[in-house]
Amino acid sequence: MNPEPGPDSERRRLRRTLVRVLIVQAVALLLLWIAHARYHVT
Amino acid sequence: MHPINWVIIIGYISYVVVDGVRRARGTDQLEGYFLANRGLPWWAVGLSVMATQLSAVTMIGTTGQGATDGLRFIQFYFGLPLAMIVLGVTIVPLLRGARVFTAYEYLERRFNAPTRSLTSFLFLCSRGMSCGAIIAAPAVVFSAIFGWDLPAAVALIGVPTILYTMLGGVQAVTWADVKQMVLIVFSLFAIVVVLLVQLPVSPDEALRIAGTTGRLRTFDFSFNLTDTYTFWSGAIGGFFLMLSYFGTDQSQVQRYLTARSIPEARTSLLMSAYWKIPLQALVLLIGVLVFVFYVFSPPPLLFNPAHESAVREHATEEFEALESRFEQAWTVREGAARTLAETPRRDPAAADAAAQFRAGEAGVNAVRAEALDLAQRVTGQTPRDVNYIIPHFVLTFLPIGLAGLFIAAIMAAAMSSISSELNSLSTATVIDFYRRWVRPDGSDRHLLLVSKFSTAFWGIFACFVATYAVRLGSLIEVVNRFGSFFYGSILGVFLLAMIRFAKPWAAFFGLIAGMAVVAAVTFLAPSISFLWHNVIGAGTVVLVGIVLSAGGGRRQEADDSLDIDWRHHHAE
Repeated sequence: MNPEPGPDSERRRLRRTLVRVLIVQAVALLLLWIAHARYHVT
Repeated sequence: MHPINWVIIIGYISYVVVDGVRRARGTDQLEGYFLANRGLPWWAVGLSVMATQLSAVTMIGTTGQGATDGLRFIQFYFGLPLAMIVLGVTIVPLLRGARVFTAYEYLERRFNAPTRSLTSFLFLCSRGMSCGAIIAAPAVVFSAIFGWDLPAAVALIGVPTILYTMLGGVQAVTWADVKQMVLIVFSLFAIVVVLLVQLPVSPDEALRIAGTTGRLRTFDFSFNLTDTYTFWSGAIGGFFLMLSYFGTDQSQVQRYLTARSIPEARTSLLMSAYWKIPLQALVLLIGVLVFVFYVFSPPPLLFNPAHESAVREHATEEFEALESRFEQAWTVREGAARTLAETPRRDPAAADAAAQFRAGEAGVNAVRAEALDLAQRVTGQTPRDVNYIIPHFVLTFLPIGLAGLFIAAIMAAAMSSISSELNSLSTATVIDFYRRWVRPDGSDRHLLLVSKFSTAFWGIFACFVATYAVRLGSLIEVVNRFGSFFYGSILGVFLLAMIRFAKPWAAFFGLIAGMAVVAAVTFLAPSISFLWHNVIGAGTVVLVGIVLSAGGGRRQEADDSLDIDWRHHHAE
């Protein structure tokens, strides 16, 4: 059986995940923003 | 449709059923049948979570919305990634640690039996009806485009799904979801490739044409409570909606209860956090490209073939006159689109070309509006044909084989959502009601049998609702509206569960107060977007719950040993 992860390693893992998710979302939103800014005509 | 396409569709259905029946082995106990003995890998659970959320409405309705309204619907999902992260550190360890079968089971341990029964009952009412609506959406489209009777279209989708869900339990549901998700994503990418190949203009020019009509408006930063598709509605209202849906709706909760551990359950949810927005953007982009495709290839005046033949039969002259005007308007728009595509972006004539194209678009839309009006007068049905745009494109312009694959993908999207919902409806019925109130001492074998019957019952009920969905239209709307009364309120009860001093009856009365406030807002200010109902409902429950709990009396009547401190619960 794997030993249970401690609170500190859990926190570090969560922080890493949070940063990764935010980076992916930032890239996705940036691409959408580029499409909006380049092609949307008011 | 070409026989090869039918072979693909029948092959897909047969494979799903046979594989589902094969998965029935090893599910001879309740925990295996409902939770796969909590032993599924994160990636399978993650794909199942995504497949459950992605229904046939996404495949035909959202793509159609992309064609008519553009990309702005994407803002609806802006709150999802953060919601998944929050659930990963709150609800996931809470429910996994409690080793419950249903989310509502936890509420009895934390609060009391009435709170559990009420929330579970609300789930059964809402999901039972929505499951019917999920079958009805593609069935109505299939019956119109293939000329089938509606019950036959409902049976084609419903019966195989009921079979594999009933026999194989959650194992069959999850592994079918995995394959169905792969099929869906593959067919979405395939349709994008076909569109890009068949368009007579470059992708850059295609997007420029779409952008001229406002279809690439992705961000709307206006703060307007009545508009569902703004940045703030999506980021704040959508955040609460996603917390409710993924955190308290048994059809989703049950997916991650099957994961091997808390970290794996968390990772499975994060798959949606990573991929939901890009996938949804792809779905909407397909709609946008189909719009551009029809700028250069003549579309039908009415996309719903059943309405078209009815109108052609009963209002022949009027319809032919409209068709003639539509052809002229389409020709003008096509010419304007070609001029726009050929005019360089920085050319002084570009603004004039864009204005010409917009005028052409307005001309086409005006004739379409008249035709839809005529269809409503002739058929007496809603003339909205957004759901028929993509099926028309698929059946008319996709190569043989790929069309069958896309129709199979629409069925896969429907079946993956229905199976998860039937599985969770059965779980809530058996665990929260039958085992709780009728046969607490029932053997596993007996409860398993009841679970299978319960799955079949909900499946037949959903098929019945789907068959009569057109006639039950207003009833379904009432149920959906009723559902929006309590969705945020149930989230509020779970938020209250994380507050240590919250008392059992405070949660129960808080839930009722939350639903009452949302009902009042719905009737007094009907223009407020339903996304904000979740915020209002959750906020009211927490507020009322805190006030009632602070009012004195015993802290808790429920078993304190089961009051899990989620903040310190890191692993199983």
